Amino acid sequence: MVMEPVTEYMMLFRGTGWHKGLSPEEMQQIVTQMHAWLDSLTAQGKARAGQPLHFEGKVISGKSGRMVADGPFAESKEAIAGYFILTVDSMDEAVEIAKNYPGLNYGAEVEVRPLASECAAVLNLRREEEAARAAGSGSR
Amino acid sequence: MSEAGTESNAGPGDVSRIVEHCFRHEAGRMVSTLTRIFGARHINLAEDVVQEALARALQTWPYYGIPRNPAAWITQVSKNLALDLMRRDKTFRNKEHDISRFMDGGGTASGGDGQVAFKDEISDDRLWMMFMCCHPFVPREAQVALSLKTLCGFSTEEIARAFLTSEAAVTKRLTRAKRKLRDATVSYELPTGEVLKERLDSVLETIYLLFNEGYKASEGESIIRKELCLEAIRLCGILADHNVGDRPRVHALLSLMLLNAARLDARTDADGNILTLREQDRALWDQGMIARGMYHLVRSMEGNEPSVYHLEASIAACHSAARDYESTDWRRILYFYDLLVGMDNSPVAALNRAVAVAEVHGPGAGLEAVRGIAGREQLESYFLLYAVLGEFEERLGNNASAAEHFKKALSLATMKSERKFLMQRIGDTATGD
Repeated sequence: MVMEPVTEYMMLFRGTGWHKGLSPEEMQQIVTQMHAWLDSLTAQGKARAGQPLHFEGKVISGKSGRMVADGPFAESKEAIAGYFILTVDSMDEAVEIAKNYPGLNYGAEVEVRPLASECAAVLNLRREEEAARAAGSGSR
Repeated sequence: MSEAGTESNAGPGDVSRIVEHCFRHEAGRMVSTLTRIFGARHINLAEDVVQEALARALQTWPYYGIPRNPAAWITQVSKNLALDLMRRDKTFRNKEHDISRFMDGGGTASGGDGQVAFKDEISDDRLWMMFMCCHPFVPREAQVALSLKTLCGFSTEEIARAFLTSEAAVTKRLTRAKRKLRDATVSYELPTGEVLKERLDSVLETIYLLFNEGYKASEGESIIRKELCLEAIRLCGILADHNVGDRPRVHALLSLMLLNAARLDARTDADGNILTLREQDRALWDQGMIARGMYHLVRSMEGNEPSVYHLEASIAACHSAARDYESTDWRRILYFYDLLVGMDNSPVAALNRAVAVAEVHGPGAGLEAVRGIAGREQLESYFLLYAVLGEFEERLGNNASAAEHFKKALSLATMKSERKFLMQRIGDTATGD
């Protein structure tokens, strides 16, 4: 599979119940750590456009959206709590950054996914077309 | 971890906007206010609301930055959550207006100066909560735990660590205390006049107990234990600032705690070993705290209802005023101890007096004073009795007898730092120092 060089990655923060049972003092510490971590990434120009998500929303499925359900469930280890977009040189660097996410120590998880500028299938199709065109013009 | 990078790049102004213990202290304030609105039986609900408000801060601040006034943010969100809850639950239908009454400055939850409060009426929510936690219905040992939980925002686990006990034990205490508050059919309106004064004494006792828990041991979780002292001072400060608590004995207790807490950092060396008053580096004494302590000592001198707190504060002030150990005014200290044992017949007070006696009249007189302690048998399992006897004997040159006493003390001491200190003293007597 052909991929474009990626410079943007999405960090998805997963887990929506991990703060349960933390003391006010611990919560304050984590807020400070998280803020320092994200702030430093922003200052270095490595992070932009992050937002938290409300824990509850709707899940739409079925043909023509026949099924609309409440979800995800309020507390879940998998549910996404927020995201941040990273501009870094490699997946390795993105992973190193994610490793410093303070929530990890309390059971939260981070998922790092490269942002594709176009859907990979469309990208492949276009490459094939270009290759065919090049081959065609060469034979003429 | 790129700690160094984080440090230099994070907007330091931003982060420092969250004052130390802000979450904990705001939690205490909000739980008090909401409990007052919901009613004491719904104290758990108040705790849940505040916990949720703090969680919201945790979920959003890192993304959007720290609000300009974090405390106000927490108050506002708690208020919104409480209103949501009240709209959903019929039990609270008629209480919605209380939210604005208690929270929007006017009536107030904040207890700032200049509010027009009826004399003797307790309008600060934290004070109200203090009196609630120290309600005679709440078992004594639970009062401190309940105060720490509701007023200071400590978690059960943190309370357990501070008291060197299990989380289960603390949970049990808290549950029992809350059940008492829920089941009691008495009115929760606070007393006024004479009855209020009596209740005030029980609040002071709880605060002093809290302070002593923190003060008596600096081993292990020393930071938490110091915090207990600081919380006791904070609560007493709130009390003294208020119409209801602006009384001589409240200032005396506050003074006594400040003067003693000023020495906290000097009481142990880098390895956690206990340093005696003679050994302490007095440059480490917190002069700001001493100044505050002296101020409240002066405030405590109004009126004519002397208390044990007055005498203990006066003794602490004598130590604070001495430039070095040698210039300590022991005669004056002994004078205060004489008055103290007249008012407080606890053998522990008498034992402390004996130390002053020895300083003024020599170790022989000190021994004599220990022998004369009424109710001395109560001290027999108390390691300090033998530690004091050991000191006197050593100063008299009776090394063998001194060693005996130190060994007995060692067998009774439980704190690591105390044991270390005693082992060193046993060593001293062997080398004849």
